[in-house]
Amino acid sequence: MVQFVQIVVNGVFTGGVYAIIGIGLSLIFGVMRIVNFAHGVFLVVGMFTTLFFFERLHVDPFLVIPLVVLVGGLLGIVLERFLLEPIVRAPEHASILMTVGIGLVLSNLLLFAFGDAPQIINTRYSTSTWHLGPITFSTALTIAFVLTVVVIGGLALILERTDLGRSIRAAAQNADAAELQGINTRRVRSLVFGIGFALAALAGALLLPQLFAHPSIGPTYTLKAFVVTVLGGMGNVAGAIGGGLLLGVTESLGAAYVSSSYRDAFGLAAFLLVLLLRPAGLFGRSRT
Amino acid sequence: MIQTLLALALAFLLLGTAGGISGAAPASGEPIRLGAISSLTGSFATFGSMERAGYALAVDDINTAGGINGRPLLIDLQDDTSNANTALTVAEQFIRSGVPLVLGAYSSSITKPLAVYMARQRVPLLNSNSADDSITKPGSDYVFRVGQNTDAYVKPLFGLFKQLGGIKTIAILVSNNALGHSVENSLVTQAKDGDYQVVFDQAYDEGLTDFRPVLNRIKDIGADVLAMSSYEADAVALMRQIKEVNLNAKVFAGAGATGFAIPSFLKGGGEAVEYVITSAAWSPDVHYPRAHELFARLKAFMGGVEPSYHAIRSYAGATVAADALRRATTLTPEGIRETLLATRLTTPFGTVEFKDFNGFHNQNPLPSILMQVQRNKYITVWPPDVAVGKVIYPTPVWTARK
Repeated sequence: MVQFVQIVVNGVFTGGVYAIIGIGLSLIFGVMRIVNFAHGVFLVVGMFTTLFFFERLHVDPFLVIPLVVLVGGLLGIVLERFLLEPIVRAPEHASILMTVGIGLVLSNLLLFAFGDAPQIINTRYSTSTWHLGPITFSTALTIAFVLTVVVIGGLALILERTDLGRSIRAAAQNADAAELQGINTRRVRSLVFGIGFALAALAGALLLPQLFAHPSIGPTYTLKAFVVTVLGGMGNVAGAIGGGLLLGVTESLGAAYVSSSYRDAFGLAAFLLVLLLRPAGLFGRSRT
Repeated sequence: MIQTLLALALAFLLLGTAGGISGAAPASGEPIRLGAISSLTGSFATFGSMERAGYALAVDDINTAGGINGRPLLIDLQDDTSNANTALTVAEQFIRSGVPLVLGAYSSSITKPLAVYMARQRVPLLNSNSADDSITKPGSDYVFRVGQNTDAYVKPLFGLFKQLGGIKTIAILVSNNALGHSVENSLVTQAKDGDYQVVFDQAYDEGLTDFRPVLNRIKDIGADVLAMSSYEADAVALMRQIKEVNLNAKVFAGAGATGFAIPSFLKGGGEAVEYVITSAAWSPDVHYPRAHELFARLKAFMGGVEPSYHAIRSYAGATVAADALRRATTLTPEGIRETLLATRLTTPFGTVEFKDFNGFHNQNPLPSILMQVQRNKYITVWPPDVAVGKVIYPTPVWTARK
């Protein structure tokens, strides 16, 4: 029983990080109707930004998070303004190609700058743990989970309580109507892409103390983000949290009790089941 | 495009070193070109950079010492981007351009299809660093392996277990790839032969590395030895998470060498990798002639970066190729293949000869060594005649460590 609880707890904590990867993708899709194929690469940019500050300036990865988020946000706004805004009225495949291209260019730039070896950082809490009764918690994963909860809470507050949040939700529901109400949807799109990039970069910073960074690992995370988003419902931010947790727990239980060789397959099987039974996602409403 | 430029730059570099160093009788004239395939980019790039250094220094030494019967040797090293399909494309280009021998590749998952292709094309492949048994078992007349296979990696572990005593159960966790499964097979077979009980045996998917669920299972089952096989990043992540979930074993073993036996394992893993025992193909402690000297020269050649055994083995591979070229009566694939069969060469890596034994074909029967991480350094602990330190056994439990 203890072992089962331990495995579920691990799944929930890992799922929290999956959630934050998925939320950015979901938000971007909700407002911009763009499937961002560069999302995983944005996460890797976050990892390498953190790595840069850790290796060169010896700053703790968790302390540089505000800076990483800022860099991610600014990069997102600039990319949206100069590369995505000009094709906002173009057919859907144009944005797909554009985000694929952005991902390729960014990962190759990282390759030039940081080389091709997997980069692993060693912090004092990378392997430290704390205990609650017989259950062991990874310190790095706990910090990541707590920060994820704080950020998701903050994001929910912004979306629900502020003018900016209302503008974002209005643009997501009906961009033309929002425009007629005086909302600058162009600005909203830039901001949303910036927030999406910042959230992915944040996930990268949170993951770096536990995992390795490699310029070409982005697509692996993009796939995770897609699964989370589809599980939760495309464009549904709250759903992405549920999707992330579900994916984390499914993978953990499957890897522990069935076979670790098929760890990713359990998540994908859940993904297919949801698509078959609830095409709009577990927490999504179908759009007309 | 970038890869082509890199490859051209490297070829230029190799050519440059070929003619640029003065010696007693430096090679001159038209170079003899061999093909080499390695992973210079992609997930195996760290190992690829070691292979590149090994080949480059070997070419440098060979040409300084007079080349191939007076003609300079050129190893045309091309990148397979850590991808088997790219390796096959490169091999096809090599064969079309008339290369009589190809060296490479790094990863077993790339070398396996490459070996089949080369055998079909009847052009010899000289491999230094892939360990999957099936590359030379049953192998083919055109595939020659300088380095150790996984059976050889695993064998000294069981020798050590026997000497240490008190080991009965083994848990196996390997990466889901050609090397991992070959190590798994070797472990299962040799455990059975030695009357050890395998209490857990699974492969894990590479990629996002959350090993906690499977490690908790192993913790629950309990085993005297946890034997693993992983590439670079996974090896560190595994040991970190083993510490995290407080999984204890008498021995943590890197049975497939690779990710457990390279300098970045020590740097990335820190205290979590202390006491890990890993197989290795070579260490500077071995008694082969010029071993120490080569290690120091390679380190200097690599700008102070510590070379792993992969660099040494590539150096040996290039030396063996040059030896075969010197002895060959015709520089054709068939001529070189026949000469390779008669190879018996002492290199700083060890004696290289291609033998048929236990179902292996054209396999160098060189034994492996074991190293243990002690105070964040690799200490050779097995076999006894090479060991420079004693094994720390059993591995202290995590809670008893500082």
